[in-house]
Amino acid sequence: MWLDISLIVIILSGIVLLGSSRIGTIIQLFAFQSLVLSSIPLQVDRAGLNWHVLTIAFGTLIVKVFVMPNFLFWAIRHVRLRREAPTILGYGKTMLLGGILVGMAFYISSKLTLPDRYFSRLFIPAAFSIFAIGLLLLVSRVKAITQVIGYLVMENGIFLFSMLLLDKTPFLIEMGILLDIFVAVLVMSIVINNITEDYEDTNTLNLTTLRD
Amino acid sequence: MLPIFSHILFVLALSPLLLGVIGKTKAFFAGRWGPPLLQPWYDIAKLFRKGVVYSTTTSWVFKLTPVVVMATALASCIFVPWGSIAPPVYFWGDALLFIYLYGLMRFFLIIGALDTGSSFEGMGASREAAFSCLSEIVLFMDFILLVMVSKSLVLCNMLNTGFFSSWLSMGPVLVLVAVSFFLVMLVENSRIPIDDPNTHLELTMIHEVMVLDHSGYDLGLILWGSYIKLFVLGSVLVSLFVPAHLSPLTGVTFFLCGMGVLGITIGVVESVMARLRLNRVPHLLIGAFVLATLGFIVILLKGA
Repeated sequence: MWLDISLIVIILSGIVLLGSSRIGTIIQLFAFQSLVLSSIPLQVDRAGLNWHVLTIAFGTLIVKVFVMPNFLFWAIRHVRLRREAPTILGYGKTMLLGGILVGMAFYISSKLTLPDRYFSRLFIPAAFSIFAIGLLLLVSRVKAITQVIGYLVMENGIFLFSMLLLDKTPFLIEMGILLDIFVAVLVMSIVINNITEDYEDTNTLNLTTLRD
Repeated sequence: MLPIFSHILFVLALSPLLLGVIGKTKAFFAGRWGPPLLQPWYDIAKLFRKGVVYSTTTSWVFKLTPVVVMATALASCIFVPWGSIAPPVYFWGDALLFIYLYGLMRFFLIIGALDTGSSFEGMGASREAAFSCLSEIVLFMDFILLVMVSKSLVLCNMLNTGFFSSWLSMGPVLVLVAVSFFLVMLVENSRIPIDDPNTHLELTMIHEVMVLDHSGYDLGLILWGSYIKLFVLGSVLVSLFVPAHLSPLTGVTFFLCGMGVLGITIGVVESVMARLRLNRVPHLLIGAFVLATLGFIVILLKGA
């Protein structure tokens, strides 16, 4: 029951994410989603708590709930950015599209037969949905920082999917993934700062104009 | 007849208190002591002592509006259970009547506002009509979900029976219903972030602008009716969380505590959020609609 509710709360926060325009709110929503996500390893583990599961949960908690949001907040303070520019589609349409994508994710996963065990019937649909929502966020927003968050939400979906193979994944790979995203966020923040210095704005549409 | 009267008396007495709880919470957040808990009661008592002024351009529709508002509000409350106290009236399909009673209330508020001939009130009426189109869809979606979970069209069965067991299997759906119903409740009752119930001067208000010309006990009836609407819609939400098969006393205590928590939640939402720009309100309702649809998909997946 709690696993199902956590999964639905993760999808729910993704849909709210699609409709919000303040960058501070978006970062907080991402942190909230990651908080719920970091409790998933503890909930799916049937063999009792071992250090492998605990490290994954706490590693996710520290990196995705505390370090990365703080880092992103630092970045928006640095470039004095508060609001997203108007999106390509508009918020209402983006949210409706998100709903359709979630529906498709549920449909696809109902057709999909995965060989491994299921913890919950919502597990794979939720992973697909978060992945699709992250992708939608990535392509529909124009500010670089929101695109970074879209990428991170997408990664949350992959993380959820990898939970199915929790006891088969070596610990080193999990940590490698976390390090990978951390570096990606670091690089993106620096890129955002450089875009701002060159163009006085973080709108990625500016990158298509030619300048000396 | 007696159960109906006691049910109505219960809601008449307690609905202003919910507003008092909201007011106290907001005052706490603002660092003030705030008006007393019974302030909405004092307001109603004050309005009922005053006389009424009617504009010469208004007709009988304007005078009928407050009566219809109060009557529909009271009629809707007899279908809703208070904790483990069953509603005095129930029949197959009363959930639809419940929704349409609020439709009737809204219709009369709108034509009452149009009857004054003031363009300002007409603007409020048009906004109310536009937003209620969207919120009614979400309300219906939520009720359809509840019907699918409980397999019954009787409102009190949809809300009460065996919900402790259905949280085990249908928890995700009920979370989605609760969240989207909470949003609809805020829209229907014109609370922040949709509309600020305290302002009377701004051009962005919806509900208050429609009742500007009412005065005296007419205004009192409309205010009391809107308190009851908030209380009844809130009790629908709270009933989702009240476990079935409690003894009457525990059930009612549980219910009243739930209403208190609801009042505090609304107060917190109103304190920490700013009102949305008017053109963003449909986005909120679209979000609620997407959540309700998601609940639909989950039900299909689970095979209810």
